[in-house]
Amino acid sequence: MTQAVPKSGAGAASPVLLGLIGLVGFAALFEVLPRIGVLPADYFPTTSAIAAHGLALVRQSAFWVSFGQTVGTWALGLAISVVGGLVLGVIIGAVPLLRAATSSTIEFLRPIPSVALIPLVIVLLGTKMSSTLVLVVYASFWPVLVQVLYGVADVDPIARETALSFRLGPLDRVRYLIWPTTLPYAVTGIRLAASVALILTITGELVIGSPGLGHDIQTAYSSNAVPLMYALVVVTGLIGVAANLVTRMTERRILRWHPSVRGEVPV
Amino acid sequence: MTRKLLALGLCAALIASMAACGSSTPATNATATAGTPDKVATGVIAIVDVAPIYLGKQKGFFSKRNINLDLQTAQGGAAIVPAVVSGQYQFGFSNVISLLLAQSRNVPVKVVSNGNNSTGDPKADFGAIVVKDPNIKSAKDLVGKKVATNTLKNIVDTTVKNIVQKDGGDPAKVNFVELAFPDMGAALDAGNVDAIFVVEPFLAAAKAKGWRVIGSYADVDPKLCVALYFTSTQLAASNPDLVKRFTEAMKESLAYADAHPDEVRAVLSSYTQITGDTAKTLTLPKWPADIDTAAVTKLGDLAVTYGLLTAKPDLTKLLP
Repeated sequence: MTQAVPKSGAGAASPVLLGLIGLVGFAALFEVLPRIGVLPADYFPTTSAIAAHGLALVRQSAFWVSFGQTVGTWALGLAISVVGGLVLGVIIGAVPLLRAATSSTIEFLRPIPSVALIPLVIVLLGTKMSSTLVLVVYASFWPVLVQVLYGVADVDPIARETALSFRLGPLDRVRYLIWPTTLPYAVTGIRLAASVALILTITGELVIGSPGLGHDIQTAYSSNAVPLMYALVVVTGLIGVAANLVTRMTERRILRWHPSVRGEVPV
Repeated sequence: MTRKLLALGLCAALIASMAACGSSTPATNATATAGTPDKVATGVIAIVDVAPIYLGKQKGFFSKRNINLDLQTAQGGAAIVPAVVSGQYQFGFSNVISLLLAQSRNVPVKVVSNGNNSTGDPKADFGAIVVKDPNIKSAKDLVGKKVATNTLKNIVDTTVKNIVQKDGGDPAKVNFVELAFPDMGAALDAGNVDAIFVVEPFLAAAKAKGWRVIGSYADVDPKLCVALYFTSTQLAASNPDLVKRFTEAMKESLAYADAHPDEVRAVLSSYTQITGDTAKTLTLPKWPADIDTAAVTKLGDLAVTYGLLTAKPDLTKLLP
């Protein structure tokens, strides 16, 4: 093997370090630009002003109520999508007739942007949390469903024949044949769905006005509370980072047996 | 064979569950059962104008009339009107022109209470035209210029057109640009527009920058009615008692807010982020308890003049 292998020590430490340097540099840049007048300070508050408002924010109980509402809507929407996507995906994928009958409908419904449904949910449900939840579920359901469908279609034909000749029942086939093949696909779908769900949660709160951090951003915006608005935007960004970290960690745990995570070359 | 049967069974189950989903939307209605307070959802916008309803709720003006008021903030009339008409909200807050436009398109809305009005003082109103360019001395200089409005063909551009016309300019030659109130200051600063029409708290921020006011709501009519509270014609017909109690509670709230500006300034922080000095110094609108029919009629006439409406609105049907 003449290929260059990255040195394990430096390779593991430097991305984190470089990432931190990048973040600090970014923060410093937006501290300096408004101060020297390159950016108008009225509309681009300095990093320190945003941080100060952020620190004041986390001491308010109202902030944590909104935080809970946003995370709650996100988690509930994601859970409904994941369960629905997994169950429907396995059923539709396992039955060729169903798959053929639904594929055109799925391909028609899937590209409809969730935000296009905003007028509909306002008429049906008003501006409550349930309106945003509908948008979240609608947007995050499809990635899960489609990935599960791909996963079920990827079942090894020989394994399928083997399961048939061993006369495995439908439940056993799901458990020992479909599930292990589908899981890596499903986990990818769930990771995609997690970020889509967060985007739609904030969008729904922002545009419809259902309670949560998105609504608080809108309130700060329409109250001319500019630094507070930026602080809230940063918080939603942090939620996104946290959500991504959690889903990636879960992915590693669930798929620790899978070659893609073990890092070994499959035989 | 069993597989095919299973598939058909699943198909049927799927269709059945989809049908169940479709029909499970409950028809929630705030019909009164004696003794328990009516839960009344009201759609408002988180702006200074609706302070009386928040204050009135705090003071118990609604609960003493057996109304459990649930204030829901929406992002604007575009969300509130459909939600009121579909029964998701029992009442809503909207500007006068939007309601006139809704009525002209046969949207079943019925006004139940006054909202807010101009202060009557052109020098100190809560919504005004602001300019930065020293060459724009009065409203007629806006001819051929770009003016920011929050919504095209609505109350703000109608106001600006009328002010320009009264000042001797041709209102048809003013170019309007649609911008949200919070973005207007930055647009004027950057020179993207020549004038902006802003409401509080952005008006206070614009004045603090040293920009000049060249016209306001009061220039159209000292008693100009800006917004109203409304319900659906369906609720107005089916539950006149609830509408009557809501109207009475609103009247008391409006009168109280108008008489207690300090309490209004304090209540702002409960539903907006307007705090500190801004809350203490911004110009509050007037909150007369009764609807000024003459002022609403005038706006209706202006809407016809500037082509928003094709016919004179039937105010006897819209107003209570």
